[in-house]
Amino acid sequence: MDITATLEWLQSTSLAVYIRDSLYAFPLIESTHVIGLTLVFGTIAIVDLRLLGIASSERSFQRLASDTMKWTWAAFALTAVTGVLMFITNASGYFHNGYFRTKLVLLVLAAINVLVFELTAGRSVKQWGEASSAPPLGRALAAVSLVLWLAIIVSGRMIGFTTTRAVLSEPLPAETTLEDLLGLPSDGSQAQPAPESK
Amino acid sequence: MKQFALWLSTTAPSVYIQEHNAWTIPAIQSIHIVGIALVMGSVLMIDLRILGWAWVDQTLRQTTNRFGPWLTGSLCLLLVTGILMVIGEPVRELVTLSFWLKMALVAVGALVATIFQRALRRHDERWGDTLPHSHSVKILAIATFLVWVCVIVLGRLIAYDHVWGAWSPSERQ
Repeated sequence: MDITATLEWLQSTSLAVYIRDSLYAFPLIESTHVIGLTLVFGTIAIVDLRLLGIASSERSFQRLASDTMKWTWAAFALTAVTGVLMFITNASGYFHNGYFRTKLVLLVLAAINVLVFELTAGRSVKQWGEASSAPPLGRALAAVSLVLWLAIIVSGRMIGFTTTRAVLSEPLPAETTLEDLLGLPSDGSQAQPAPESK
Repeated sequence: MKQFALWLSTTAPSVYIQEHNAWTIPAIQSIHIVGIALVMGSVLMIDLRILGWAWVDQTLRQTTNRFGPWLTGSLCLLLVTGILMVIGEPVRELVTLSFWLKMALVAVGALVATIFQRALRRHDERWGDTLPHSHSVKILAIATFLVWVCVIVLGRLIAYDHVWGAWSPSERQ
């Protein structure tokens, strides 16, 4: 089964059709996605700022992490499930969207970042867990984590401006730009009414 | 309100945001999301401390000292970016039911946070230690968390105000 067929099958499933046709399903799923992602970023920021020595630096890292990370994972699960539900409503549209692809790559990088942390600074946590900040590598990974998650939020928001809930009968041509989609002149010099933002 | 929104959309700052909407609107919205994320993280941690599910090695006062300033700072960031969004897209924001319901809930959430922080500061340390044992405070903690959850939902529904049907002012025109 090739990818085009898989994407088309996904968006033709009864679940996808139900979400697409319902007046309430997509807005509520998207709202739940935002609730999940705010909790993901909010809790990750607490951990990263602790690693950087910016906040909670007097508190043991292990205690802070065990208080915080379980909520990160729970919220991430909620965000992932609602993300998949939104994806299937217009699978080929999202699949061909540059911001969607960027976001997926950034998510993979964020996962690699966590893995690298666990294999390096995470191993020696007993030595620095009570110190006011992590060793240099741990601090660098925390900074990378914050940047990645901020970029994930921005690219996620951009997906909403560059896709529609309607299923495209065929993928957009590769040369389609944001200006085309927003109905702006490509040089961006001329004033236009605000686009129908999502 | 529609008249006011239309007037606002002709003012210079509004025109600037509209003319550069390809980046201004997504940028402001993204910062707004980061702001509400910091609020959610802070409120979650304070509420978990009240419920005794996290930060139990610290007093409630220590926990609110840690997260209170972040909560206040994030709310200021949300206010600024929120005002910019209203200036940039006045009709989209002001002529919706979701926006006004959200503003009412934001007022409730901010008021509860302020009263709670003031009460903690006015009373001595022991009061902060016995407080989490009170049932009504635990219920208040869960209620405030749900208020912020609803604020997020209503914020997102501004873009989908049609879900309110005839209740939505944008549907009536």
